Amino acid sequence: MTNRKILFALLAITFGIAACKKDEPDDQNNSFDRAAMLAEYRDVFIKPAFNSALQKAEALELAASTFTTNPSTEQLAPVQNAWIDAAIAWQSACWYNFGPAGEAGIKKSIQEEIATFPVSLTKLNTILTSGTWNINDFNRDARGFYAIEYLLFDATLTSEQISERFQNEVYRNFLNALCLDLKTRILDVKNAWNSYGSEFTSNAGTDAGSSVSMMYNEFVKSYEGLKNFKFGLPLGLRPGQTAVDPTLLEARFSKISFRLARANFNAMVNFYRGVDQNKSFKGYLKTVTGGEALVTATEAQLSILTTQFNNIDENLDMETRILNDPQVLIDIHTELQKNTKNFKSDMSSLLGIAITYASGDGD
Amino acid sequence: MAFSAVRFVYLGWIEDHYTEPVFHFTYFGFSWVKPISAAGLYLVHLLMLLAAIGVALGRLYRLSAIVLFLTFTYTELIDLTYYLNHYYFVSLICLWLIFIPEPDSKNTLPAWCKWLIMFQLGVVYTFAGLAKINYDWLIEALPLRIWLPAHDDLPIIGKLLTLPETAYVFSWFGMIYDCNIAFFLLYNRTRPFAYFTVIIFHVLTGLLFQIGVFPLVMIGATLIFFSENWHQRFQQIISHIPLLGGLFVVFPSGEREPTQYRMSFILRTFLTIYVIFQVAFPWRYLLYPGNLFWTEEGYRFSWRVMLVEKAGDATFYVKDSKTGREGIVYNREFLNIHQEKQMAYQPDMILQFAHFLGKHYSRNGVSNPEVRAEVYVTKNARPTQLLIDPKVDLMKVQDGWAPKSWILPEKE
Repeated sequence: MTNRKILFALLAITFGIAACKKDEPDDQNNSFDRAAMLAEYRDVFIKPAFNSALQKAEALELAASTFTTNPSTEQLAPVQNAWIDAAIAWQSACWYNFGPAGEAGIKKSIQEEIATFPVSLTKLNTILTSGTWNINDFNRDARGFYAIEYLLFDATLTSEQISERFQNEVYRNFLNALCLDLKTRILDVKNAWNSYGSEFTSNAGTDAGSSVSMMYNEFVKSYEGLKNFKFGLPLGLRPGQTAVDPTLLEARFSKISFRLARANFNAMVNFYRGVDQNKSFKGYLKTVTGGEALVTATEAQLSILTTQFNNIDENLDMETRILNDPQVLIDIHTELQKNTKNFKSDMSSLLGIAITYASGDGD
Repeated sequence: MAFSAVRFVYLGWIEDHYTEPVFHFTYFGFSWVKPISAAGLYLVHLLMLLAAIGVALGRLYRLSAIVLFLTFTYTELIDLTYYLNHYYFVSLICLWLIFIPEPDSKNTLPAWCKWLIMFQLGVVYTFAGLAKINYDWLIEALPLRIWLPAHDDLPIIGKLLTLPETAYVFSWFGMIYDCNIAFFLLYNRTRPFAYFTVIIFHVLTGLLFQIGVFPLVMIGATLIFFSENWHQRFQQIISHIPLLGGLFVVFPSGEREPTQYRMSFILRTFLTIYVIFQVAFPWRYLLYPGNLFWTEEGYRFSWRVMLVEKAGDATFYVKDSKTGREGIVYNREFLNIHQEKQMAYQPDMILQFAHFLGKHYSRNGVSNPEVRAEVYVTKNARPTQLLIDPKVDLMKVQDGWAPKSWILPEKE
């Protein structure tokens, strides 16, 4: 037999076997339009999220400017409310931490630049005493949302006492500088998305560095951040911690930690499901082998979590709760933990998303 | 000829894997291999590059070969999560490059050199092929049914990849190819056609999967199956091309007659042991209970390439045995994303990381830590299940050759 014949024979066998398998019931229609999913995420989630975050940051900047022109107790509440609105809006944008929002040179990702918590009270107090600061240095724990919060909120003081602090010019100038910086950084990313938008949708593969992979990685990282930093650390659940530690809470001066966590959770769930469910990670999963089972498992876990979040008053003071009766919060952490594998290892495995550039095992 | 692998490889392997993870996974028995400073690692890579060029050009050959083997193997041994079968392959070839004698005046080498490399390639392909003979690969076309659709954006063939039929064709063709290719390459009449399929196969897998220089290595290395005449002609053609000619210097172009050289007793013994080891070691998994693809006991160093899609999520609990307080580890504090991903479904790495955590936290105020791990693994798109017993204190478990009783059996 010549080599050609052998090869044809082999090919024939191969195709023959493949043909026999055609009618297998669990074969699914595997075609999924990732570019369309990316366009949907861009137009319905990412751009609107940055737009909204920008609007709120602009409103905050304006309110701060009005307040600092003539600091009064009456003008304090509008700034505080503007800050709360902006911080909540950011919970829907914080995991789009790639592309224009990603690291570039000495600039860290936008989430690190404007939303690091806990802030360093030492650094902030030094700034307020010395009257000098550098908004572009490495001290990311002395700027952004939670530095502004530190200036505007203090549960141990009355509104009069807080607004009185702003008789000090340093407070006024630093507040305005922080608000301007916050707005500028969001504005830069928002503007950059106008030109990045088409690159985002055209990079529609699943390799490391593809839009799907970058967005997915940041989503998972943010989900773990919700679990670890908004719940785990303040609850003292890290090995080596010997007690709860409410000083690690996000937004502990304004006492809206729980509102932020819930807003963040809901926003991530909406993102996973999508508005058009055929153009979302959930929809994508439904088209791949083993995907239906994972979607079912994920939905079951998300529904447990949604119930847990909704059963708690959104104005819950997490600090008090953590110090007195943290069980209900520990329970949320436990359930968030149970869902990690669904979002993290399972989803990337089923969708074939490469999460790093390194060659996989198995060459 | 044997050097063709090297020619290609040295162009591509200067990659920087060495960011700054706090912890490195080590190979069993090689835990003494530690990373040196970043500057030192760059130096090692520079040495490796020089040695590779030295080997390729035949300058300071013996020294170059030794340096090449040591530097390459060292960088592989630093971190187990970067284990790849083709790195193992390159290490083995580099080892033999050390022992290949100087070409004689007629520029020939003893025949065993060629046969050894051919044997090694045969082992790689054949074991890779035998490993594909399993239910998931052939009957379910898994994991290719997961992997191929993810590449539907490739030009021309992209849409085809979403069809389950394509996954079946690739699965069966891959198995038949791997099992037989070495034999077709051996046989004169089938060789050109076989080599043609080598190129197709490796170019295709190179396009589809993140596998680095492996396709180039294999396309280059399998040239060794061709005859002396072919190689002499090949080198003549190459030497006429400017630039390229400089890279491909004249290599030993023939075999010495058996009467012209004698293999020493030591070499003969070493070769025999080596060949037996290569043929036997991949079968060690038969000595372990359970499904190899689940437990991974006896998985590595056995040419099991691109066989299974696995991913895991490993949560480590560290308990202070005095206070009873238990904390949950944030893996990324110690591992990079690649290390975490690899560790999360491989029991020996889970154990290593657990021991690291125990030591780390006992230095940081946790007295006599107990470390447990809750590890959920998905294999070939099946729903996740627990990989190891989440109640076992891993600090009390030592790694070794014995079966790991703390691995839970795979449920169907």
